[in-house]
Amino acid sequence: MERRNFIKSLMMASAAATVATPNMLLANESAKEEAKTVENKKAPLKGPNDMSLEDAIKVITGDKEAKESDKIKLTVPEIAENGAVVPVKVEVDNPMEEKNYVKSIHVLNSKNSNSRCADIMLTPANDKAYFSTRVKLAETQEIVTIVALSDGTFMKAGKSIKVTIGGCG
Amino acid sequence: MAEEKKARKAMIKIKPKKYKVGDTVKVDFIVIHPMDTGMAKDKETGKIKPAHYINDITFSFDGEPFTKMKVWESISTNPYFSVNYKVTKKGKITVDYSDNLGEKNSKSKKVKPKQA
Repeated sequence: MERRNFIKSLMMASAAATVATPNMLLANESAKEEAKTVENKKAPLKGPNDMSLEDAIKVITGDKEAKESDKIKLTVPEIAENGAVVPVKVEVDNPMEEKNYVKSIHVLNSKNSNSRCADIMLTPANDKAYFSTRVKLAETQEIVTIVALSDGTFMKAGKSIKVTIGGCG
Repeated sequence: MAEEKKARKAMIKIKPKKYKVGDTVKVDFIVIHPMDTGMAKDKETGKIKPAHYINDITFSFDGEPFTKMKVWESISTNPYFSVNYKVTKKGKITVDYSDNLGEKNSKSKKVKPKQA
């Protein structure tokens, strides 16, 4: 009898823990509500490397402007069924020679509490500027890529991704 | 007694499988790693899982780095990274990677170009 009650209380405790994750609740909001709240929404929990997209871009480019460029081919899904595994691919149409090459590709997001995903430092040995990975997105947001060339200039490109089930919980 | 170093499962894939000197191949690196953000709760204990994510990766060929990466916790669990590499000779690609808790690991794969 005692053991049955003990197991019951364990089950209730674990059920409470799984139900009450704020991240899960936020991520399951309907698309309509998300469109309204996305502008003013703050990240639900503070992470160790919090940084806004604007600050991250400043850190990468300094005071220099990153121009929109169609030399950058950013491939992401329009709708991510699973926000925990969103494929991101960046290709840059630029030589990779000693005097002129893509120095780095930076992948950023607009709504995770840490907007930095990855910095990739390339060399001419890569021969073609390309990087692919999979990222976690907490909610519908933009993926932005900043590309730095060896001549000190910066280019950028961005795409929106609808996230149906948030990937950070 | 010294703690046994946890061997992490990692894989380097070179695509295509058959290539010659002068070809540019795709180098994929996949590793089993939680990439915990420090914001998610453990479903069993209800406690926040501390941040534990790979943060530095270096790809080298015969000891010479050709790609470096700095990555953060927004990368998916069991991360996948892919870059290009121009094959110049027979040798070995090594990926050295470390995480925010100081764990360092390494994985290598031989580069074996076919004779032209």
